[in-house]
Amino acid sequence: MDYFQENIRLGEVFVQLVAFLTVFFVLRKFAWKPLANVIKARREKLDHEWTDIGKMKAQVAELQKEYEEHLRKIEDEAREKLQEAVQEGRRIAREIQEKARSESQISFEKAKTNIEIEFEKARFELKREIAKLSLQIAEKVVREKMDAAQHEKRAMELIEELEKKL
Amino acid sequence: MDQTGHLISQTAHAATQAHGEAHELPNIFTVLDQIFPGNPFFEFFHHWENIVFSVLIMALIVFCSVRAARKKKFIPDANQNRWEMFVEGLTGFVTGILGPKGVEHVPFLGTLFIYILIENWLGLFPLMKSPTSAWSTTIALALAATFYIQWVGIKEQGFFHYMKHMAGNPKGILGIALLPLMLVINVTIEYLAVPLSLSLRLFANVSSEDRLIYKFAELNVMYKFLPFFFQLFANILAIIFSLVQAFVFLLLTTVYISLIMPREDHGHATGSHNKKFPSPVKPT
Repeated sequence: MDYFQENIRLGEVFVQLVAFLTVFFVLRKFAWKPLANVIKARREKLDHEWTDIGKMKAQVAELQKEYEEHLRKIEDEAREKLQEAVQEGRRIAREIQEKARSESQISFEKAKTNIEIEFEKARFELKREIAKLSLQIAEKVVREKMDAAQHEKRAMELIEELEKKL
Repeated sequence: MDQTGHLISQTAHAATQAHGEAHELPNIFTVLDQIFPGNPFFEFFHHWENIVFSVLIMALIVFCSVRAARKKKFIPDANQNRWEMFVEGLTGFVTGILGPKGVEHVPFLGTLFIYILIENWLGLFPLMKSPTSAWSTTIALALAATFYIQWVGIKEQGFFHYMKHMAGNPKGILGIALLPLMLVINVTIEYLAVPLSLSLRLFANVSSEDRLIYKFAELNVMYKFLPFFFQLFANILAIIFSLVQAFVFLLLTTVYISLIMPREDHGHATGSHNKKFPSPVKPT
């Protein structure tokens, strides 16, 4: 009993209790709550920022997907237009070729016609020359009395002359 | 210099011997009272030295924690960071036992832990004393813990269910017949055994540590510092055991809170208190 009386002092117990409760209430109001609030606010802010980052990442991914889609479309369109241009070029080349061919055909036909006309003209001229020469020969034969040898000779000369003219 | 140190040690030794059987190193008030005998000022402080050291610790904790919490920086400085680490660590520990609702008990449990820890460690500083080496201090702390635990019980269960809990949840005629006995047993356990065990454990451990350190210090004086390494060892042990004792006090208080909180298996989680909490950890 003496031990308890020596070691337990009720006044001290009471003051110690008050001291501890004072620390508790002061810390609860001025330390624990502010610290807990700071931690909570920081956690919320970080969570919020993480959420924002997540959203932004999703947006970026969406945009990237859109851009890739857009690029793919552009590439497709470019390829399509290129192919169209190639086709158009080929078509034009074919047309030019066709035109050139038809023009050359026309020219050829024209030239052929001209040649035929010139040929007919030459033939006509030749006939006329032959007739003229025949008349001249006949005239000479009539005018001069020639023997058979002279006739032949004369005729050969006329032929040679005619060949030269042709 | 060596002589001066020796003289101080001798004075301290004599000062403690003068107060009957010395069991701890002399503190500043013991020494002052011995140097100035009959001085009412020093006598008063020597008589209430535990309270003086407690108030000193109180001021220290309040100053440091409020200073750390006052800044409220988003990017904390070293002091704020230390306190935040402590708060977060403790919150994790307490909610691990009490569940999410345990957050509201963190201020009490945290204050209890840090207050006891600093009080335990204070005796390791020269000319200081651990207030927890006095039973009166530990009784005050245990009473604070007990009142808090019972208050939580009344608040969480409601007064009727709390009384029912104290009466041992009586069922049937036998239960009602045994009600007074159960009430006495439970009240004795909750209001007497719990604070007694809490206070005695802390007081006995811390005063034993102080006694051990004192004895090694006495050996140092007697044998010209030969047993210095023993004292060093005792100091390291005291640092560790002080931490362990503060932690044990915290753990037991947390467990007592978890035991008094309403649970499904107690069958009295009704009405506004019908909340499901995780099963508390039972003390081993």
